[in-house]
Amino acid sequence: MTTETYLQRAGEILAPFAKATNNPETNRLDVQIAVGDLPTAASALTDASWGYLAAITGMDLGVETNELEALYQFCEGAAVTTLRVHIPREDCPEIPSVSDKIPVASFFERELSEMLGVTVVNTPDPSHLFLPDDWPANVYPLREGFTPEQAASVEPAKTLEPGKVGNKFIVPIGPQHPALKEPGHFEFTIDGEIITGARMRLGYVHRGIEKATEQRNWIQNLYLLERICGICSHTHTSAYSQGVEKLAQVEVPQRALAIRELVAGLERIHSHLLWLGVVAHEAGFDTLFMYSWRDRETVMNLLEELTGNRVNYSICSLGGVKHDIGAEHSASIHKALDYLEERIRYYLDVVTTDTTFLQRTRGVGTMTLDEAKRFGTLGPTARASGVTRDVRLDAPYGAYKRFPVSIITDDRGDLEARFVVRMKELLVTCFTIRTIVDNMPSGEIATKFPRKIPAGETVSRVEAPRGEAFYYIKSAGGESPVRLHIRTPSLCNWTSVINKAVGHQLADAPMLIAGMDPCFSCNDRMVTVRRKDGSNTLTWSELREYGIKKYGQRK
Amino acid sequence: MNISQNYVSQIIEKVSTWARVNSPWAIHFNSGSCNGCDIEILATLTPRYDVERFGIKLQGSPRHADVLICTGPVTRQARERLLRTYEQMPEPKFVVAVGSCGISGGVFQGCYNVVGHIDEVLPVDAFIPGCPPRPEAIIDGIVKLLGYIQNGTRPDMVLMPGVQETA
Repeated sequence: MTTETYLQRAGEILAPFAKATNNPETNRLDVQIAVGDLPTAASALTDASWGYLAAITGMDLGVETNELEALYQFCEGAAVTTLRVHIPREDCPEIPSVSDKIPVASFFERELSEMLGVTVVNTPDPSHLFLPDDWPANVYPLREGFTPEQAASVEPAKTLEPGKVGNKFIVPIGPQHPALKEPGHFEFTIDGEIITGARMRLGYVHRGIEKATEQRNWIQNLYLLERICGICSHTHTSAYSQGVEKLAQVEVPQRALAIRELVAGLERIHSHLLWLGVVAHEAGFDTLFMYSWRDRETVMNLLEELTGNRVNYSICSLGGVKHDIGAEHSASIHKALDYLEERIRYYLDVVTTDTTFLQRTRGVGTMTLDEAKRFGTLGPTARASGVTRDVRLDAPYGAYKRFPVSIITDDRGDLEARFVVRMKELLVTCFTIRTIVDNMPSGEIATKFPRKIPAGETVSRVEAPRGEAFYYIKSAGGESPVRLHIRTPSLCNWTSVINKAVGHQLADAPMLIAGMDPCFSCNDRMVTVRRKDGSNTLTWSELREYGIKKYGQRK
Repeated sequence: MNISQNYVSQIIEKVSTWARVNSPWAIHFNSGSCNGCDIEILATLTPRYDVERFGIKLQGSPRHADVLICTGPVTRQARERLLRTYEQMPEPKFVVAVGSCGISGGVFQGCYNVVGHIDEVLPVDAFIPGCPPRPEAIIDGIVKLLGYIQNGTRPDMVLMPGVQETA
């Protein structure tokens, strides 16, 4: 189906609820609906299998209109359908929850309520997701007129002490955790060895970047957004530049787009090799960790040669790229890829044949196609369950029309499949990079870019190594955005981990969490296990050891 | 008798300094970093840079650590955890701040959820600048710190090449 037919179909499904509809861009449909109709309209879309909920963007429309706006953004292929809901700004604004049909919405709703002060009725967990525990009540950072001074520290409300709940025990893990860019906090409820429930708390590295973008100009934001994540920094700069270029209606030279895709490919290689190493480490397979990180240095060298930096390459600029990649780099790129391809084939062999390793991956955390779709999973985690969802193919952006990639899927859905999908994806990426280098379009690498961006709003989607990154950018015609909303892929994938952990052994938890590649930072972390005979404190390493030992005994 | 006791304690001190310098165990804490510094710290452990040749080991519990390697600005939620981790470390303990954000807050200055840089929360012994610093710079910073530990003086600041000391 084409984008037009997708949008037409969405229009038909939403017709009973629509107060007003319009098409702000060729691939977008905006439907204004009443607050009360929200759950029915959202479930009408999901029941008809129309796309997935990509983000809920909340906005304060200001004191004059005295309204807040929530945008429920659904994506299918290149089509984006937005359900727009207006709610009053004062007197405890309320919005019904959509999370019973769409589990991933619970995270978005927690964000919406803490950032804008909207009460989400019937949401499963209304507690803070990003903001600190000592945040004062009735202060919302994304409301107009917010100043940091308002957010003076208050005595945090008593949270549930970890310990015994009936015959079950709660095991808190984190906030220092290996498998997260943001140190997250998990609470696993266990019955004996088996996990019966899981809950998570983020916000240890929440810095307030979305708010900060409103105080910086369009160029400064490029450098700020690059530092959302040091692993997929190029994803963020390219998603942001792409959106802003769309708003400014600037045509970016083909050569610049090709260079962006090339760097994105190198970033994918470095990111997946990094992931391979860290998951191998969690499984107690340190040799593979050292191997893959040694080989990753080849990509890092290449990135340094091409962009001047190993991490945060900063190659995107608004209207193009900063450094040219030409024939003089061709030899070193091909040489590095020759080596990498050979190594990736070897890793593919290792992860599918090593018996000890397979014990930790085969049949663990299996997610069926239906589950993956329902949880709103993205990226390689979804593709390992057979979901054919990839922005590079569904909505080819930049140079992906000219240099397409092929999609890799697997229908087994377990941890092993996620290894296979990622490794095969790397081989495809190597091939694409070679094609780009050999067929680099000629021409300029950047165009002149205006300082002020015309008023308007746009959606920019980019496939990060971990899945789709979703950007919503709104300009009022000034030198800085009025609202910039970012939804990173890991946030969507958490739902699957939280749900899939249930029924597994505690010893599997590190692998399950690491298996979805939630932006690693190899920190140290604390685990407290409270047992009947009092409490004892374990480090994450000890939990890891415990997992390795347990599987050692089973052999 | 007093002299011999003194002599024994001096020997013990020498041996423990020798041990500390030759195998400093480090713990890494991300208090709001973008992950850029963290992956470079991890890269120093891997075969290309192989920091274990200096006896440096990144490991789990703060109770076993001599050096706390911090990255990122300090966020409100992570502040208390950072302090708790520091307090759990046995004396003598040393703190290394890695990256621009840890030194000054970097690009995150003025964000509502950022308390400030590491030095506002903990006494920092060495700063390693860069966004992110290269693994070579991280190794250099830690080895300089070891030099100071060996000399028995607790450094106020380890100066990196190109950083001028202000009066």
